[in-house]
Amino acid sequence: MKQRRRMITTVVSILILSIAMLGCASNSNTNKEGAGNLQASPETTEAAGTDMSSYPMKTDKKLTYWAEYITVKPTIGEVPFFQEWQKRTGVPVEFISPPAGQEKEGLNVLLASGDLPDLIEYDWFSFPGGPEKAISDGYILRLNDYIDKYAPNYKKYLQEHPEVDKLVKTDNGSYYTFPFLRGDPLLQVYQGPIVRKDMLDELGLAIPETMDDYYNVLKALKGKGLASPLSITGLSGFSYGAFVGAYGTNRGWYQQDGKVMFGPMQPGYKDFLETMSKWYAEGLIDKNMATIDGKALDANITSGATGVTIGNAGGGIGKWLPVLRESNPNAVLAPAPYPVLNKGETPMFGQKDFVYTTYDNVAISATSKNIELAVRLLDWGYSEEGHMFHNFGQEGLSYEMVDGYPKYTDLLMNNPEQLPPAQAMKLYIRGNSGGPFVQDKRYIEQYLALPEQQEAIKIWANTDVDKYTLGLITPTSEESSEMAKIMNDVNTLIDEMTLKIILGTEKIDAYDKYMEKLKSLKIDRAIEIQQAASDRFNNR
Amino acid sequence: MEKVAAAGGMPDTRAVAVRRRFVKDFLTNKYLYIMMIPVIAYYAVFHYAPMYGAIIAFKDYTPIKGVLDSKWVGLEHFSSFFGSYYFWRILKNTLIISLYSLLFEFPAPIILAIIINEVRNKVFKKTVQLITYMPYFISMIVIAGMIKDFTKSDGIITMLLTYFGGENTAMLQHPQLFRPIYIVSEIWQKIGWESIIYLAALMGIDQEQYEAARMDGAGRFKQIWYVTLPGILPTITILFILRMGNMLNVGFEKIILLYNPMIYETADVISSFVYRKGLLEFGWSYSAAVGLFNSVVNLMLLIAANWISRRVNSHSLW
Amino acid sequence: MSKSLSETWFDGAIYIVLTLLMVVTLYPLLHVAFASVSNANELIAHRGVMWKPLGLSFEAYKTVFANGEMLRGYRNTLFIVVVGVSLNLAVTALGAYVLSRKNVMWNKAFLAVIVFTMFFGGGLIPLYLVVKGVGLYNSLWSTIIPFVVNTFNLIVMRTAFQSVPDSLEESAKIDGANHFVILFRIIIPLSLPVMAVMGMFYAVEKWNGWFYASIFLQDRDLYPLQIMLREILILNSTDFITSSAAVGEQVQIGETVKYATIMVATLPILAVYPFVQKYFVKGVMIGALKG
Repeated sequence: MKQRRRMITTVVSILILSIAMLGCASNSNTNKEGAGNLQASPETTEAAGTDMSSYPMKTDKKLTYWAEYITVKPTIGEVPFFQEWQKRTGVPVEFISPPAGQEKEGLNVLLASGDLPDLIEYDWFSFPGGPEKAISDGYILRLNDYIDKYAPNYKKYLQEHPEVDKLVKTDNGSYYTFPFLRGDPLLQVYQGPIVRKDMLDELGLAIPETMDDYYNVLKALKGKGLASPLSITGLSGFSYGAFVGAYGTNRGWYQQDGKVMFGPMQPGYKDFLETMSKWYAEGLIDKNMATIDGKALDANITSGATGVTIGNAGGGIGKWLPVLRESNPNAVLAPAPYPVLNKGETPMFGQKDFVYTTYDNVAISATSKNIELAVRLLDWGYSEEGHMFHNFGQEGLSYEMVDGYPKYTDLLMNNPEQLPPAQAMKLYIRGNSGGPFVQDKRYIEQYLALPEQQEAIKIWANTDVDKYTLGLITPTSEESSEMAKIMNDVNTLIDEMTLKIILGTEKIDAYDKYMEKLKSLKIDRAIEIQQAASDRFNNR
Repeated sequence: MEKVAAAGGMPDTRAVAVRRRFVKDFLTNKYLYIMMIPVIAYYAVFHYAPMYGAIIAFKDYTPIKGVLDSKWVGLEHFSSFFGSYYFWRILKNTLIISLYSLLFEFPAPIILAIIINEVRNKVFKKTVQLITYMPYFISMIVIAGMIKDFTKSDGIITMLLTYFGGENTAMLQHPQLFRPIYIVSEIWQKIGWESIIYLAALMGIDQEQYEAARMDGAGRFKQIWYVTLPGILPTITILFILRMGNMLNVGFEKIILLYNPMIYETADVISSFVYRKGLLEFGWSYSAAVGLFNSVVNLMLLIAANWISRRVNSHSLW
Repeated sequence: MSKSLSETWFDGAIYIVLTLLMVVTLYPLLHVAFASVSNANELIAHRGVMWKPLGLSFEAYKTVFANGEMLRGYRNTLFIVVVGVSLNLAVTALGAYVLSRKNVMWNKAFLAVIVFTMFFGGGLIPLYLVVKGVGLYNSLWSTIIPFVVNTFNLIVMRTAFQSVPDSLEESAKIDGANHFVILFRIIIPLSLPVMAVMGMFYAVEKWNGWFYASIFLQDRDLYPLQIMLREILILNSTDFITSSAAVGEQVQIGETVKYATIMVATLPILAVYPFVQKYFVKGVMIGALKG
């Protein structure tokens, strides 16, 4: 009897479940319909009364634009830059944005709902499965034909810059966005070694260049009583090849004569580990190295416990120097070159972004009914007028022409409402955030206000990284999930090994044992995938 | 009726009996069932209707294609997870941290509630409650910042321990210290908050029982043992069972804020490992597969805990 | 009444232990409070335990409250908390009551169906589609209805209801009371401490909730406080401002803003507990029995 009852209960709960499932089935239908709509052929239907021959264009259409853009204004529509942008291009735009920091979830939900705006600003390069997949699945447009027809300015730029052209398309040659491009090498560099020059002067030492120089400097600083002469935020301080690069290798992937290499597997990496463990044992590196975060590093530097670090021109020098000077007016933070092994060598690696930064680029959705208008709107950013407007805003308001040089006004640099320059700029220009245009060097020249900062990016830019970088390679979508699986194990192993050897819990001999383990994690397959992707990239 | 009998192949009388039971049950309890409608409707619409989404664990989900149209890949994500070089390590770490929490962090609020219950001074009592519950509201990132600050080479806790013969380096660089730091800080942050539910349960104890115990000459300890504890035992049991159903859910947030590669060997857990993989690619399906694995194990543990508890102390979820 | 010696020791030990605990647990809040009114530059340079504010500056609070939308955020959050918690309690109590009854044939099935959802769910997108499908999208109700019952709370409440002695209901039933009367006149009044705690659990959940609100709400006018605070936090984060930036002392504010937002977000909800404590009254049961 009891069993019987239990069975009936089970049957009925299954019934309830299936009713619920039914509900979901109908749900998924609507979902499908949504997706079906998406596939609908994207016919360009331009209405009469539209004149797109010159800017500002005339149109009775309104475009929808999805973007995350955080400013002190509550909505994008209230930001003066975007108001003026609509006026100058003549295109009315309605903005939709996710709450700050919710970009990924926001886009995910947007795609799932099947209700796409005309323009979507996002990191389309990093889209799961790659941009080619976003096109083939019918979400964004392949722009090749439209660029040919409607985007003369952007097309001209690509023709003049074949090396950029290679970056912004896929392996199949598809263009998928209007990208944000760094117009000058100085805009691509922001990180490198920083030293307390005042302390070095006191000790009679020059700015270090070689590993031996660095060693001597650290030794001397230690002798001067500094608790942690060299401080970096864990392993991330080595990310771009500082110190590792001196030994002819890197923390991650690079290429040499077309051959893809995984840095930690190269013999130089062992030498790097040996040196670092020696430095750590001698107390030259912060004792807390593994646990140091940004806040701890700030404290180390601003309290004068550290004399050498790896940091940014803005977020490093620009943040620390004012604080340091409050207690010590003589403090000087100066940039130093990436260390090399022998004097006179050019550093092999250093931080340097690609010209195409991948974030904040704009794609046109496959469902857009106003493709020509959308393309022309975005193309304006690459025109002469658009270039000035995106980088410097409106003349007389956000910049003044002084001897042919666009100089930012106090509205940006010394805001009457006390906004920090970064926040004020976001209201009037896009030069400091990104978007569909080419960034101008004259932005960074003014934005980095301290001479040390200006000098820094020049010194740090002097590396051979262009020769060794892998490029914006794209494994296929199957490869990329295989890659992620392998690399998750590999990174765990390498990070663990690197720290344990440096901090001395394991002897340097352990390196060989780790390399054997690495083989069993299928690192060879990962190299194969990267090599194939790199070959495809080079053949673009 | 005949149909049921024919289909089930059982004697008519039993079918009648079953039917009678149904009808009788419905007649006696119909108002209860009506009261239950909003609850069941809620679970049907907002939990069961979206549940089809769980199948992405067996698919290669992309938002573009949606849940139903994404490609089937079977158990690929599961085998990828189980096949990881680090699978056993992260599983072990997860279980050990959970077990330690169960042993040390779970009883802490119970003890606090009992102690608070013994306080006679009302103002003091309320103050203790209010203050101990506050750290719960401070965001994890700030709490983790404090922990790191206190345990670095010249942090206040490290110095204290050095005084008693400890080593003068950042505590979070020592694999063997991670678990104690994790558990103690967990207690620190949550003891007050988690004691509230027990305090509420304590209020339900009949005061006459204490009087009776006193009459029998029971001291404070005996009163706690024979009156207070049995009084909140149902609550303890239920929370314990629910806790068992959470064994594999060690959240990644606190872990990733505290750990570093030096202590991966004790600190890396399932969720932090999956988090790191998420940084390499969006692993919707992969994390769904891991989530499903966790859920199945958790559910089994919950059922086991419930079964044991029912036999041991006759309190249980069902 | 004279205390025995051991009683005195017992009490003394309790006071010492609890005082120590208070000192230790009060620190995080003081740290946040001090940091929020500290001078930003000194805060950046600071290491170790903070015993008092470093300098005194209310810049961070000014930054937080300079946002004109804050008030609306408070109002939305208040609505979500008040309406949401009322509904939460009502529906959860219904479910807990039914599930706590004996001799209800379907209860085990109900319970299984409910507990199952603690372990298996469909993820964000399917839920989003359901919310959109039932027409809750971009309405404050979308932060309330889809979360009207928390299974954990339901089970805890059921446990509390179960511990009410049967004898009370039996006598009520004999007097002809129906289930609603039993629930609202007997069970709930006898479980007030637990009800109050459940109310607080729900209130805290609602107060702190931002994730689903950020997914289900599109209209900025509907954003709860926590989303506003997150935006202020991101806008003022030192990383954001100085990512490639320079100059200006106001740049350092970010670090203090982090703490000010915590204060602004936390203080109001901290005030809930004393209110809940009022319901922590012993001996309710005895009163009910005798009355």
